[in-house]
Amino acid sequence: MANEPKKKRKGANTSLVFNNRMYYFLIPALAMFLILWVYPVLQLFYYSITDFNGINYDFDFVGFKNYFKIFENGTLINSIGNTLSYAVVTVILSNLIGLGIAMALNTKIHFKGLFRTCAYFPALFSAIVVGFIWTYVYMPSSGMIANLLSMFGLDGTAFNPLGNFRTALFAIAIVEVWKAFGSTMIIYLAGLQTVDESLLEAGRIDGCTEWQLTRLVKLPLISSTITINVILNVIAGLKAFDYSFIMTNGGPGKSTKTLMFQIYEIAFDDQKMGRASAFSVVSFFVIILITVFMLYFMNKREVEL
Amino acid sequence: MAFGRKKDDREVETYMKLTPKTFLLYFIIFAFCVIIIAPLVIVFSSSLRTPENQSSPLNLFQQFSMASYSLAFHNMNYPMEFLNSLMTTAGSVLVIIVFATMAAYPIGRIKTKLAKFMYYFFISGLIIPSQMVIVPIAQTFSRLGIPNTRFTPMLMFITCSLPFSVFLFSGFMKSVPVEIEESAYIDGASLPKRFVSVVFPLLKPATVSTIITQGLWIWNDYFYPMVFISKQSQYSLPVGMLQFLGDKENPAQWNILFAACVLCALPLIVIFMLLQKQFINGIAAGAVKG
Repeated sequence: MANEPKKKRKGANTSLVFNNRMYYFLIPALAMFLILWVYPVLQLFYYSITDFNGINYDFDFVGFKNYFKIFENGTLINSIGNTLSYAVVTVILSNLIGLGIAMALNTKIHFKGLFRTCAYFPALFSAIVVGFIWTYVYMPSSGMIANLLSMFGLDGTAFNPLGNFRTALFAIAIVEVWKAFGSTMIIYLAGLQTVDESLLEAGRIDGCTEWQLTRLVKLPLISSTITINVILNVIAGLKAFDYSFIMTNGGPGKSTKTLMFQIYEIAFDDQKMGRASAFSVVSFFVIILITVFMLYFMNKREVEL
Repeated sequence: MAFGRKKDDREVETYMKLTPKTFLLYFIIFAFCVIIIAPLVIVFSSSLRTPENQSSPLNLFQQFSMASYSLAFHNMNYPMEFLNSLMTTAGSVLVIIVFATMAAYPIGRIKTKLAKFMYYFFISGLIIPSQMVIVPIAQTFSRLGIPNTRFTPMLMFITCSLPFSVFLFSGFMKSVPVEIEESAYIDGASLPKRFVSVVFPLLKPATVSTIITQGLWIWNDYFYPMVFISKQSQYSLPVGMLQFLGDKENPAQWNILFAACVLCALPLIVIFMLLQKQFINGIAAGAVKG
């Protein structure tokens, strides 16, 4: 092969050691990925124009009826809005808290390991356990926060974040932050530890304040860590399902119905696989659009910093 | 300083002096940790009560009884669910490591557009939520004639883990020197031999990171088992927790529910306590190296 490189296309693999036979190693992973992940995504497009109900295979093609249906009563717009609000709250809070705690722990302080363990601990629990625990925390009159409020002489019985359609979404977003900020913090901590101490020393000699050091030296140096954390949190936020499913069941009203919860509900409670697929197709494009936009936006920021 | 330990780079770690400013820092971090941990402490203390004890859960550790635990243990059929979870998680992680390292090998080594395309092709799978594709996946399974057993969710766990694992291993592949493989090639090692005995052992940090990150989510996931498993004898721990769903707003059942929560999380807590350092490094490595 290497003897006749001119026959090869430009950019083709001419390495002797790393030859094309290596591609065989891809087969098991690629086969699984194609059959169980890519093919189902493509099938969504097909099912989305049928009235398939999950059981009966002699379904009919109904054209774009499913798409009109999901737009009709505002279900789609409502769930896109909910998902976006949920994602924005979780991304901002877990990054701010994660970065703040990471910076505090990156100083020379006692019990660093203990604090780090405490902050990461919630990440160990299954979403279902977390959902149960926080249902208790938020419970009106007998829950943890209501009880604490009563202890301080405030009206604990009026506290019911999950029962109010204006606060429910925010309340479950807080639960996600509680569970997720620990991992975010650990990634920030690792990023901060790569910052060269001598640069900070130089800054101090030049008379920078701590705030200037943070804003002008540390943050630009960990910009790639910020990007990865924000992107990971955006992806997780757009997948919001667990706490709507476990804690609020989409309610009150439609206030915590996220995209994924809505798809699950249409597919498994209403048995309308066709309409659920149409919903999935739209979510697919929404997710791609937002992720690509975020990647572009973060990369641009990274260059600017 | 009394707590100063000798570090390997011959630098003695010095801690900050206790000034009002650092005191404030300690106070904020401490208060924050208390807020984070408070729900867990209350859950733990309530789980140690008898099921009948319904005084406010905020009165911490007023009773130490195993009654709630033994009820929860019994209701969940804990040993069986534990074994199901263990089998599912261990089996999936094992296959993931084999498949993902194999896939990452050409992706990390070959410098062509095709290899690069494969890299992005796998990563793009990260953004797709499970709930979105569950309908066609269930159809694919029924058409392929795959019955709903405890191995069905494993197939999905493996598939879902591939994007992240391939991403992680391809990133680490860069840290395995090309020269080592070239000399193995000159010594006459075949491609599979080179992969198994030269490259794979050098990927150990990424392997540890994969075991921890993927093991954690697979152990905790309830969605795929919930959809694919109908027999109670095949339930994993998180799915077993679903039967308590009706109890979550009933204060009379809280002590048992909380005991079940602790039992469900216990295996991971024990592993975390034992391997804390690997956990922290594994999570950080996943994001920073990749």
